[in-house]
Amino acid sequence: MIVCIAVVGHQNNPLYLQSFTEADDALKLHHIVHCSLDVIDERVNNPKKTGSTLNETYLGLLYPTENYKVYGYLTNTKVKFILVTTHLDVRDADVRNFFRRFHSAYVDAVSNPFHVPGKKITSQTFAERVSTIVKSFGLSSAV
Amino acid sequence: MEPDVSIESGCMLRIAVLPIGTVPQAQLRDYVSMLVRHRKVELSAISSFYTEHQKSPFANQPWDTGSLRFKFMVGGSPPSPWEDFQSNRKILAVIGICHCPSSPDLDVVADQFSIVCKNYTSAVVQRCFAFSPGDAQLEDGGKRGDNLILFPPADRQTLEFHLLTMMQDIAASLLMEFEKWVLRAESAGTIVKTPLDSQASLSSEEVIKAKKRRLGRAQKTIGDYCLLAGSPVDANAHYSTALELARLTGDYFWYAGALEGSVCALLIDRMGQKDPALEEEVKYRYTSVILHYKKSIQDNAQRVSPLSFELEATLKLARFLCRRELAKEVVDLLMTAADGAKYLIDASDRLILYVEVARLFGTLGYQRKAAFFSRQVAQLYLQQENNLAAISAMQVLAMTTKAYRVQSRATNSRLLSLSNETGSNLADGGKMQLQSVVSLFESQWSTLQMVVLREILQASIRAGDPLAAWSAAARLLRSYYPLITPAGQSGLASALATSAERLPSGTRCADPSLPFIRLHSFPVHPSQMDIVKRNLGREEWWVGSAPSGPFIYTPFSKGEPNDGSKQELIWVVGEPVEVLVELANPCGFDLMVDSIYLSVQSGNFDAFPISVSLPPNSAKIISLSGIPTSVGPITIPGCIVHCFGVITRHLFKDVDNLLLGAAQGLVLSDPFRCCGSAKLKNVSVPNISVVPSLPLLVSHVIGGDGASILYEGEIRDVWISLANAGSVPVEQAHVSLSGKNQDSVISISYETLKSALPLKPGAEVTLPVTLKAWQLGLVDPDNTAGKSISGGAGRVSKDGNSPMLVIHYSGPLEYPGKTSTNGSVLPPGRRLVVPLHICVQQGLSFIKARLLSMEIPAHISENFPQPVYLRNNSAEEGIISESKTERLVKIDPYRGSWGLHLLELELSNPTDVVFEISVSVQLESAKDEDISTFIDHDAADFGYPKTRIDRDYSARVLIPLEHFKLPILDGSVFAKDSHADGSFSNRSSSFTEKNTKAELNTSIKNLVSRIKVRWQSGRNSSGELSIKDAIQAALQTSVMDILLPDPLTFGFRLSENGSQQVAMLDSSKESDIPVSSSVSKGSVLAHEMIPMEVLVRNNTKEIIRMSLSITCRDVAGENCIEGSKSTVLWAGVLSEIQVEVSPLQEIKHSFSLYFLLPGEYTLAAAAVINDANDVLRARARTDSPDEPIFCCGPPFHIRVIGSA
Repeated sequence: MIVCIAVVGHQNNPLYLQSFTEADDALKLHHIVHCSLDVIDERVNNPKKTGSTLNETYLGLLYPTENYKVYGYLTNTKVKFILVTTHLDVRDADVRNFFRRFHSAYVDAVSNPFHVPGKKITSQTFAERVSTIVKSFGLSSAV
Repeated sequence: MEPDVSIESGCMLRIAVLPIGTVPQAQLRDYVSMLVRHRKVELSAISSFYTEHQKSPFANQPWDTGSLRFKFMVGGSPPSPWEDFQSNRKILAVIGICHCPSSPDLDVVADQFSIVCKNYTSAVVQRCFAFSPGDAQLEDGGKRGDNLILFPPADRQTLEFHLLTMMQDIAASLLMEFEKWVLRAESAGTIVKTPLDSQASLSSEEVIKAKKRRLGRAQKTIGDYCLLAGSPVDANAHYSTALELARLTGDYFWYAGALEGSVCALLIDRMGQKDPALEEEVKYRYTSVILHYKKSIQDNAQRVSPLSFELEATLKLARFLCRRELAKEVVDLLMTAADGAKYLIDASDRLILYVEVARLFGTLGYQRKAAFFSRQVAQLYLQQENNLAAISAMQVLAMTTKAYRVQSRATNSRLLSLSNETGSNLADGGKMQLQSVVSLFESQWSTLQMVVLREILQASIRAGDPLAAWSAAARLLRSYYPLITPAGQSGLASALATSAERLPSGTRCADPSLPFIRLHSFPVHPSQMDIVKRNLGREEWWVGSAPSGPFIYTPFSKGEPNDGSKQELIWVVGEPVEVLVELANPCGFDLMVDSIYLSVQSGNFDAFPISVSLPPNSAKIISLSGIPTSVGPITIPGCIVHCFGVITRHLFKDVDNLLLGAAQGLVLSDPFRCCGSAKLKNVSVPNISVVPSLPLLVSHVIGGDGASILYEGEIRDVWISLANAGSVPVEQAHVSLSGKNQDSVISISYETLKSALPLKPGAEVTLPVTLKAWQLGLVDPDNTAGKSISGGAGRVSKDGNSPMLVIHYSGPLEYPGKTSTNGSVLPPGRRLVVPLHICVQQGLSFIKARLLSMEIPAHISENFPQPVYLRNNSAEEGIISESKTERLVKIDPYRGSWGLHLLELELSNPTDVVFEISVSVQLESAKDEDISTFIDHDAADFGYPKTRIDRDYSARVLIPLEHFKLPILDGSVFAKDSHADGSFSNRSSSFTEKNTKAELNTSIKNLVSRIKVRWQSGRNSSGELSIKDAIQAALQTSVMDILLPDPLTFGFRLSENGSQQVAMLDSSKESDIPVSSSVSKGSVLAHEMIPMEVLVRNNTKEIIRMSLSITCRDVAGENCIEGSKSTVLWAGVLSEIQVEVSPLQEIKHSFSLYFLLPGEYTLAAAAVINDANDVLRARARTDSPDEPIFCCGPPFHIRVIGSA
């Protein structure tokens, strides 16, 4: 299952961070997300993109840590999406699909005229939509 | 586990470095630093110390290229249980360090050293280095044969060379010892033990197996020694054997060990090569190493697990691969290692593992991960309940702060250097701004940041480092106050306070705590201290340097301060200045700032500290002052604050960035806004330069600086005292006026100021200024008087109405003590603005003015005229009644007042005081004064009685206008004055209408200006009504009659008194003033022949021919001389008398009258002028040339009484 989903701005500032666990491990997830920025930074700074992967937004598995796997996604505006999951065998296609849906939710959220770019996303609608996507991710992969 | 392991660590010889006796810290550090330079000793260098006792087992020793590597364990280390498994873990040599001056007895040193060496059983070489021995010790030491080596005092280079030699000797000794050991092991075999083996209960089968294994293990150990001896080829040979044997016996642990050794040998052999094939080989072999360690773990499910070796191997491989390009692999390895940590039993192993993982992540450039593991390390340290661990935890956490962007400024040299460069050029500024903004972005990981800071605080409290605790608490409080509950904030405040208690007073900390300080403004110089650039070329040197025009502030200049590059501020040495800053305390406790003052880096500024207390959630604007002490630029980057017992420096730039971030939503909260302070425009720090001392004038109004309250039109003198409070004399000064109502300043004594120059420091000059209060409610004082009546509603005391004295002054042209060769650096001058505070109250108000004419016939009298008393009371109400006319001094009864014009002014007094009005008329000149026949002409002040107007009353004041008449009806005067009516077209052809109009107005003004209506109220209020316009309006129409005399003047007298030269003329020629005639009640008798004279005077400059006639009328106005019922008989000619009067002369014509009836008669003379010239015609206001000019004299009364 997905334990945490985060949006990090292009200056590595957290815009949204939501955990989906009952346990009190917010700090740990913060750390995981924060640490994953290292990997993303490295991939952004040393792009090995050629041809078909030139426009690839999906960064794939960033790193495994303890019981978690961390996946990343980078939008064209250098906003990072980070997914922390406890699934040890996740299909890449599922994660891609998840990120695509999440991206559109994010775009809708920041298109809100009352949203100030660079500020944290506080929209309730966005939170609800994200939790729906997260839930459906669990379902689709279970099936 | 051991820290800092790498693949190559297999070939490092461990040497314990131990201080013997007491060695001062500094010396020990010095000696050790010399020692540790010899980490690597070339084999080629040690050959001279090496003697081959037997055939060396290291057949393939690379004497040319090989080397021995040392690892110095300063302070030694306890023996490792695994030292048989990895020989490099053994302490193979001991080096003692002795500082001879502190250990005089070398025997004791030798004993101590040998005792210490007993702890290191594995050590094969022991040496004790004794530095800086004395002469006696040298002598003593020379005889000794033991391991004590004395380093005679010498220069550094010699000492280092000596030490190198000794190290080479040690290396050679070690090499020889290794040879011995290997030869013995090869021949006799060796027993190697690991903690793993000791656990095993040996069954018989296993004993056999163990024997087989022992061979392999021995080979592995020999390989280790070969490696240590710097012979990788030999080592490899032995390792190969060992691998074979270990594989056969299933001794995975040793297999992995041997494999590790072989990789090390491979790397040493191929030292310096970095080809991908080698890398692949290493990677492949190490993967196998890790695999075999893993296998051995499955084998040995005992208490002691070789897990640490697996993790170590993982770390070794990670370190080997640690490059950006291989980041993914390294991360995988490191994450695996980190995951393995939880299975590690020993906490210190885990600590080392995390340290290594953090270090490797750091090397890889993964700062955040490094920080994460560092934090894990710190937590492990914190679990150990001791002081040293807490210090370590604190230090480790301090390293993480960079990644979490909460670093202390003390450790952040970049920020420090930036702050030192404040005031650098704009390009740098922009860059800096960008960097700070980026750090603001990252500062949003508040959850993590607060945790880190809190841990630092906790660790430093436990470690007993109050400064670190203070710094952490300060950072926590300053950056995250919105996320901390008020109780938590107070807790942090008390943590700050308790930390400060343990610090010496005056401790400085790089991290500011509260309050937030931002620059509010630089107050412009008070008007007293304006500085004006001097313009050398001009007399009026201030012109052009300050905004000119009537406005002090112009809307155009106001926009300028935003333009940061242009703004410049000049401060003067020795004159206090102030800067406004705003403090904010967004926390929920009372903040007491013990002292705060401006921080000036240029060092030419004495700042005055003040203390402030800020209630919870409040902001305050305070003024910080100081005195510039020397010439040069000043930059003020921030403030020095002493708060919570520690001195910190608060930079304005930081807060500016913070506010910028808050505006963009990057920072949690704007501290000023949450304190209710208004948003402030970004204040740019102007370029401040300090100039040498200038003179400083200070003004005050003598008798109080308050506004002087004046009634409208009141005239008062004020004295302004100017003192030079500077230290330089004032050499030039110039007074000018500015502001509104400038014409209310009647006079300024410029000369007083000029004569006082140069005004020495401390000197004072008093400048009298005469003020006249302006009219209320008037925008323009030249407005008509009519407006002033309606406008005078209440008092108007707006400050803006007062005029200002502007004094430009300056000191000497050159700076004192400086021989200024070029005139380019001119010390600036200054401007002092002295507002003349005038508060005008409504005074007398003028209602209207009108011109009255009064005609009172004169009396002919035979009596000698008597002096007249001035009867002031007669003008009580200002209305002259007909009945009183005779008693009035102003009217000469003999003269009458034919054609007398009176100006009546109606005044009202709406105030609550009494006004007294006195009217004075100035005469044009002394010559004119002579002409007057009025007694009051020259003495204007008492000439007219004062008129008193009580409060809320109104009164009329009459002003006779008679004496303005000119003595001569002159063509020139006339031409000038009389063109207004346009009747004189032929003569006025040379003038334009406009011109004449203007001239007429001028003459009216001239006339009006001579009439002064002064008032007095109380003892010291006096003034003048400005009613010129009203008067002018009233006089406009009949100005000619007032100004110009008639061409002819007629007079009658009784010729009985012919000897008396009594003037009965109404001309003003007669100069005999004191005997101004009055009429007695004398009269003539009826039925008597009364001789009389008529006097005709020519007022013009030309001869006038005329026919004069005299008429006499009775009370009914009937002509008594002619007609059927004439009651008067006469002798002499009474009509059609043809006379000729030469210019300015008079003629007399005598005649006699015989009155038949008593009663009142009126005599009048009239003349028809023949051949009238243009002047006369103009005067008569006629333009037809053939019309006769008829001149009529004033009537004279004569009373005829009966003969009875």
